Amino acid sequence: MMGDRLVDPADARALHSGGRLTAGRSPGEGGVKADRYQGFLFNPADLSEDVDLDIDRRREILYLAACMDGWTHWQALGLRWNATASEARDAYREKAKVFHPDRFQGRRLGAFRPRLERIFRRLTEARDALSDETSRAAYARKTAPPEEVARSTARTIEGDVRAKERRARLARTNPMVSRVARVHELMDRGRKAREEQRFADAARDFLTASAMDPTLAEARSLAEESRKRANAGKARDLWEKALAAELQHDLDRAQMHAEAAADAEPGEPRYVIYVARLALQRGALQTARGRAEAAVRIAPSLGTAHEILGEVLAAQGESGPARKALERALELDDGLDGARERLRKLRWSFLR
Amino acid sequence: MNENEPFIGIDLGTTNSVVATVIDGVPRVIASRTGQTLTPSVVAVSRNGKRLVGHMAKRQAITNAENTAHAAKRLIGRRWGSPEVEDARKSLPYELVPGPEGNDIRAMLGGRTFAIPEISALVLAELKADAEAFFGRRVTKAVITVPAYFNDGQRQGTKDAGRIAGLEVVRIINEPTSAALAYGFGKQMEKKVAVIDLGGGTFDVSILDVGKSVYDVIAVGGDTYLGGEDFDRRVIDWLVFSFAQEHQGIDLRQDKMAMQRLRDAAERAKIELSETSQAAIHLPFLASGSDGKAAVHLDRQLTRDKLEELTQDLVDKTIQVADRTLRDAGVRVGQIGEVLLVGGMTRMPRVQQAVRQHFGREPSRGVHPEEVVALGAAIQAHALLHPQKGKEVLLLDVTPQNLGIMVVGGYFSTVIPRNTTVPTSQSHLFTTVQDSQTSVRIAVLQGGSDKAVENELLGEFVLDGLRSAQRGEVEIEVSFDISADGIVGVSARDSATGARQSITVTATSGLTEAEMRRILEENMDEMLTRRQVGDFERLRDRTRAVISEIEGLSPRVKESLARSRFGKDAVVKAEDVVGRARDAIEKGDLQQMIAVEEQLDRALQLFKGLVGGAASGPKDPS
Repeated sequence: MMGDRLVDPADARALHSGGRLTAGRSPGEGGVKADRYQGFLFNPADLSEDVDLDIDRRREILYLAACMDGWTHWQALGLRWNATASEARDAYREKAKVFHPDRFQGRRLGAFRPRLERIFRRLTEARDALSDETSRAAYARKTAPPEEVARSTARTIEGDVRAKERRARLARTNPMVSRVARVHELMDRGRKAREEQRFADAARDFLTASAMDPTLAEARSLAEESRKRANAGKARDLWEKALAAELQHDLDRAQMHAEAAADAEPGEPRYVIYVARLALQRGALQTARGRAEAAVRIAPSLGTAHEILGEVLAAQGESGPARKALERALELDDGLDGARERLRKLRWSFLR
Repeated sequence: MNENEPFIGIDLGTTNSVVATVIDGVPRVIASRTGQTLTPSVVAVSRNGKRLVGHMAKRQAITNAENTAHAAKRLIGRRWGSPEVEDARKSLPYELVPGPEGNDIRAMLGGRTFAIPEISALVLAELKADAEAFFGRRVTKAVITVPAYFNDGQRQGTKDAGRIAGLEVVRIINEPTSAALAYGFGKQMEKKVAVIDLGGGTFDVSILDVGKSVYDVIAVGGDTYLGGEDFDRRVIDWLVFSFAQEHQGIDLRQDKMAMQRLRDAAERAKIELSETSQAAIHLPFLASGSDGKAAVHLDRQLTRDKLEELTQDLVDKTIQVADRTLRDAGVRVGQIGEVLLVGGMTRMPRVQQAVRQHFGREPSRGVHPEEVVALGAAIQAHALLHPQKGKEVLLLDVTPQNLGIMVVGGYFSTVIPRNTTVPTSQSHLFTTVQDSQTSVRIAVLQGGSDKAVENELLGEFVLDGLRSAQRGEVEIEVSFDISADGIVGVSARDSATGARQSITVTATSGLTEAEMRRILEENMDEMLTRRQVGDFERLRDRTRAVISEIEGLSPRVKESLARSRFGKDAVVKAEDVVGRARDAIEKGDLQQMIAVEEQLDRALQLFKGLVGGAASGPKDPS
């Protein structure tokens, strides 16, 4: 049978380290080494059969016929593991010159004829398997000795790392690949930042992503939302800084932070009102007036906005408009005791 | 082994055969006793019952077409009823009948049936006789070539023919491989070679990897029914058709003699057109005019263009096969280092052009594309019989077609795939499919189809006497082997008991052993005596002619020697040889005559040299 009988890789190694088989050499050259047949036991009856073959050739044939089936294809051809296809073809030719039945034409071979035919067949089988690059490679993997397996596993891991690097390099160099990958990356990072309440970071990533891929509606809306929340956070921070400064009676710094907070979140009247109040305290009536008007514009239905405007107008001596603004404030928010007090004073100017 | 035992290589062709040998390490063609290197593969039985072979048979073919067998190679090993045989029956002038078993073919010649191997054997025997005349002694060992694409039956048939001819067929080798061997002889080749062999009846392509004196065949392809004969037939059909148009529907196909003349003329014109662009076909009195009208002649011009037009599809087919074979070999056109053209048909410029185009290189041709195959066979015979240290040549050939068996459903299961290096073998495990089944029938087939019926049935055998057991329990290991000749053998073994069963695949398209023996006995006496007598007569006539020439020259030689200071003993020696030759003729001793022949020739040459005369050499009696 020509089935693939594989040897234990450990055996294979032992045989390989035992050196090349010298079977291809004609007898007489160099003589027979003691370890040449690896302790193979010859049957004396076989050795003494009456045939036209000398004793060395008999030994060789008996040994090969008995052992070759268990060898790897490379061993059968007397080659090291993983020898190339062309080496296999060359080795086959050399061996065929020795063992092809034609080489023994006209000689009495007796029981040695089927053995020779088996050897030749085994050689042919080995050559056929190894001269095709695909089957050779598959066979090499199947028969790899352990240290080769280890080496090739190492190579595989190394290969994975290299593949990753290669992909990254490709992403860098290929604009198409890089764009898509980059957008994904930004979106992921943005979502993560948003979850962690780092809205400024999130907004930046979403915004970049939406700029790279304008069709991505999700990026746009997420960017908008994150930006708002980022601004709100920033404004609150600044406002808190401003309050802290005010407590320390550092009105200039408080004013600066408060204005920054108002700028950061322009839609939020609280900050504007606060800016106006600070300005009023510092006597910067013009600034206070502008801010107070802005607060009313932003939040026309907010009592405190009208209250601050009324106070600023009162400070500027415009008691008529001031009274109107304060009345409006009280109309909107009944709880504004400061406004009521100021209004009363305005009505009864002698109370001042 | 006797170092001096002569051996021959024979190219048994469809139209011509050649015999060669190796002398002092040099391969050479053996000329026939009439001095020609090509012997037509033609056998005839003359009106008086004499068997004629070669030139003699070919010469009388026109007048005796229905008893003249040519192109036997196209029939050897084929089954009665196969398309090739049906086609041959239409085109061949001699009658074909089924053999006694109804499955092989016999030819009717002179009122007697001949098995096809028997016809080939007559050609082989003729070549053997030529070789024996050349060596002056018996020749038995021969290597015979066959087309690479021949199947088992065809190879077996060829081997049988050799046996009938009294030859020990040392090996059957493939023609393209043989050609490559001859081409590479004495060269240090290290390359891939494509051999394109378009002969008289068969077409072969082989891709070889040659190196270190090993001729390693990678793949073969071909068509055993495509060759010069088909080219000839296109010309014949064209002539017949146009003749019928010209002469109110005279159908030349009804006239065997006319057809034979057409066949010869068509072949000649085709050969001529390899050198010229136009050939005249002139056949006077080809058909007798009906109703007492005057006989009609055929007179036509065939141009090379017309020939190429008529045969374009045949040329295309060769290229298709070549392409497929390259693919099988897994070799690209660019990797081919040499393209070798073999066979007479490759002389046709259109064929060369097509090959040049396909392979993109100038094809190589030996000096004699008809002889190269025989030379290769001789080299292989030499390598097998007298292996020489350091000059080993080894052929590693492959099996051309898938070998397999028929399996359930009429399908074909491959056991040994084509292009497997031979010798090879493969085992196959059969099991019983019914309870208590005691016999298994196995059909062995060869071919490329998935369906069993579309392949060539090599034979059937029955394994019986199996143990009676539950189905699937009995396992029989059948091993198939293909020898270096490409011939299939089968043996079987019961896996459990180890009992061997020897089986023979009786070829369905060949001779049975009994028939073989009968033919051998029948032919042997006749051929032996006939040849002995024939040889003796020929040699005697020749010897007489040489003797008279020597004696004619003798006075002048003596005269010139009288003035010379040397060579006096030449005359004495010559007289001695002449005396012995006369003695042999008187006693009718063929062996002694052969022994003295060479010395006689040398004496004559010496005499001629001495007189410096312009006397002509010995005339061949024929």
